[in-house]
Amino acid sequence: MVRLITHNLLACHAKGCTSNNFPLQFQDVSIELRDADFNADFLRGFLPRLEWPALVGAARQLGDTSLPAEQPDMIDDEFLQKLHHVLLEIHVEEGAMVCPNCKHVYPISNGIPNMLLAEHEIG
Amino acid sequence: MPDVQPTTVSVENPQSYEDTHVHAVYDEIAPHFASTRYKPWPIIAAFLASLPTGWIGVDLGTGNGKYLPLPADRPGSVWTIGYDRSINLLKIAKRAGDVDREVVLGDVLDNPWRKGAFDYAISIATIHHLATPARRKLAVQRLLQTISPSHGRGLIYVWAIEQDDLSKRSIPTCPNPKDSRFDIFTLINKGQDVFVPWVLAQQADPKPKGRKGKKTHAISSEESEPAPTAPSSPPKVFERYYHMFAHGELTDLVTEAALETGLVIGQPPEAIVPGRKIQGVQIVQDGWERSNYYVEVHRWEL
Ligand SMILES: C[S@@+](CC[C@H](N)C(=O)[O-])C[C@H]1O[C@@H](n2cnc3c(N)ncnc32)[C@H](O)[C@@H]1O
Ligand SMILES: [Zn+2]
Repeated sequence: MVRLITHNLLACHAKGCTSNNFPLQFQDVSIELRDADFNADFLRGFLPRLEWPALVGAARQLGDTSLPAEQPDMIDDEFLQKLHHVLLEIHVEEGAMVCPNCKHVYPISNGIPNMLLAEHEIG
Repeated sequence: MPDVQPTTVSVENPQSYEDTHVHAVYDEIAPHFASTRYKPWPIIAAFLASLPTGWIGVDLGTGNGKYLPLPADRPGSVWTIGYDRSINLLKIAKRAGDVDREVVLGDVLDNPWRKGAFDYAISIATIHHLATPARRKLAVQRLLQTISPSHGRGLIYVWAIEQDDLSKRSIPTCPNPKDSRFDIFTLINKGQDVFVPWVLAQQADPKPKGRKGKKTHAISSEESEPAPTAPSSPPKVFERYYHMFAHGELTDLVTEAALETGLVIGQPPEAIVPGRKIQGVQIVQDGWERSNYYVEVHRWEL
């Protein structure tokens, strides 16, 4: 599955591609929305680990504009509900992710991103 | 223990060797394999139960994703992403515990993540499928790079030369005593490359979870329940490549991997040298559990 929780962690690892290799850009995606269990404690603990601008940008690419550009100081339940939805309920099922630097394409099929490289592309 | 056969790896192309003797096999046996892997090993369950709420981790070589739903008493308190090279196993892992999981197709020799992005990483029964010492070391280095330099934790399990046969340790005996690759001294000190057969009955109807009364067996052997043989067609046998680790070999491998990455081994020093950042890794436990060796590491930075 590629949800934004995973997208926020992935980076291009093609040979020689070590800067500006994050975040990957979505291309030709089809998405599905599916409910997930809400866990406020997990989200509060996880929040500082996120690359916030990358998350907001990726959500916008998928058509969700509910998150503020800056991470808010006040973490209330309403904010956590929005974060929950963006991180865990939007599933990218098909399409691809493209490196902003070297343009390497990582396909997504059946919700599973393929991060394998051909032997000559391995760094 | 399973009926293992010694083998010698062709070092010229370990990648294509693993493609044939590991990856192709897992893709073929995926559904039956998954049906035999449901019982978490105790030390791994304890490791996952010890993690603070809000942590994110990766399971390198997740297989059918049997560790993704843990910890059992606090589901959803941490998030483990499954990572594996077998697409057919990932298709099973993405619904491990009947919940949507995050899974990624990739190789444990690569690192397609932001460096140090994870709070923890586990790699269970996977690194022993890599066909040379250098590749096994690289896999450990990749694991160390994926976790946070300041607080990342890692747990690695590999198959041991010392096997637990009905709860007593044994060493695989030589099918042919003249075969020097399999003499007892070499085994204990160097580990052993072997083929382990996986017997797949055609149209097998693998039994689902919940088999009772064979507890020791289910946990202790790596996985060796033969498929219920369909009488009509002969079973297909797949030979999987393993490196069975010698006593102390995993701890040495982790130590070497860390040192080569520029990490200090051991506890963080009490006195801090001003202006100089040091990074290290502490082996907090290592040992043998039910036919496997394991090492738990914690990274630190001052
Ligand atoms: C014995 S299974 C262990 C699965 C799971 N960790 C468990 O304990 O049930 C080994 C797994 O390692 C995966 N694997 C082997 N070599 C790999 C590699 N180079 N990169 C990623 N996964 C690999 C296999 O596809 C398989 O799922
Ligand atoms: Zn790139």
